[in-house]
Amino acid sequence: MMSSVPGADRKSKLLVYTIEECPVCGQKTKRAFTVGDYITKEASKCPKCSNTARVSLVYAESAKQSG
Amino acid sequence: MTSVMSISAAVLQVTSGDLTTYLYIAFFGLLFVVQFAFGTRLQSYFAINEISRGLNKLRVMKDKARKDAIDYLVNVGKAQADPTQRVDQFLDYVTIMPVDIDPSGLVGKIDHVVTTNNDRVRAEVGSLLNQNNPVTVSISENLLEVATSLNQIHKIVRHFYLLGKKTNSYFTLVQLQMLMPMIIQEADALLNATDSFRMGEPVGDGIGPVVVSRFMAGKEKRVIAKDTVMAITEYKGRKLYVLKADGPMAYVGQPGVAIQKIVSEMGVKPSAIVMIDAALKLEGEKTGEIAEGVGAAIGGIGVEKFQIEEAATKAKVPLYAILVKQSILEAITVMRKEIAEAADKVAEVLNRVIEEKTKEGDEVVVAGIGNTLGVAQ
Ligand SMILES: [Zn+2]
Repeated sequence: MMSSVPGADRKSKLLVYTIEECPVCGQKTKRAFTVGDYITKEASKCPKCSNTARVSLVYAESAKQSG
Repeated sequence: MTSVMSISAAVLQVTSGDLTTYLYIAFFGLLFVVQFAFGTRLQSYFAINEISRGLNKLRVMKDKARKDAIDYLVNVGKAQADPTQRVDQFLDYVTIMPVDIDPSGLVGKIDHVVTTNNDRVRAEVGSLLNQNNPVTVSISENLLEVATSLNQIHKIVRHFYLLGKKTNSYFTLVQLQMLMPMIIQEADALLNATDSFRMGEPVGDGIGPVVVSRFMAGKEKRVIAKDTVMAITEYKGRKLYVLKADGPMAYVGQPGVAIQKIVSEMGVKPSAIVMIDAALKLEGEKTGEIAEGVGAAIGGIGVEKFQIEEAATKAKVPLYAILVKQSILEAITVMRKEIAEAADKVAEVLNRVIEEKTKEGDEVVVAGIGNTLGVAQ
């Protein structure tokens, strides 16, 4: 009966990354997310073939996981 | 004589030897009486304590959400005047749902009320901000909605807490006490959502739009309903009508209206409608798990679902669903890796569903359902 109200779920800190993908050669680069990033946005030049890469994914993983 | 003496001695012996036993009996007897007479009162006392602690947490949360919204309006939205007063009015704004004692045509009425409210929110936010960047406006709308929800939750919990205390109602208090952990969890998810919204990060609910945006990239897009865009593309000889809300704004769009338009106004005869959406997982299920099914995969108040089901039923088009499992917290906060990485698998499933359920030359509607914050097309 005396269950207690749990504190706000203390999750491990999340780090948010932006994945850029080259539409031509498929080269993927992972970098930290910056405000203004969105999926399909034109990103930097592909390091391999210097075509314009696009943001393909934005996701978060816990700080622990990424080491 | 001797026998009498020995008896009294024996009695004495018994009395002194088992005094602790009697004390025990008396103690437990008393405990029983106390429990019997004051048990519920004691439980009420504990419940009141616990609810009041939870209520405090809710108050802190709703104040933080309100402050976050105001800060965003001022710092990012560059609100001209101090928006505090307008925000406070906003938090108490009510939407009166239509009467349901005569249910025929109810969905249309609900749609009308909800649309009126959405338009009013956008107009009000637009008038508060000193800029019209649609992303900023849509984020402001969402932040205010979160603050409103937390405000409502706090108000309702406080109402039952005070009512239970006032009427000394044990059952009201205990019920509230039992619900409290779930309420706090939900409120916590809402509060966490404000962080993702402010940053403009895609949320877990946006997985449907993420998948269909790949089909729309580079194609000509047209607005097909409010905040909703559609592109026509091709896959293995099938003509695909792909739609999602207009990103990267924090919109959910009107997929119901869009599908109705495609089926009835554009004269398209789809042989399947495939919907991709996030779905609430049960505890124990893995985040990012994919489930397939039939039916309209869309949440919300039910208007969109009704519209899609009606359009599909009228045209006798089968509805297929592809769902990505996630918790409520994961659905409204920044997209987790497990969910984002499901996008490739969802695309594979989508391709397979299209190949299995339709033939070459068919027309197929593909809808990515969910909030498109941070997901353009
Ligand atoms: Zn490249």
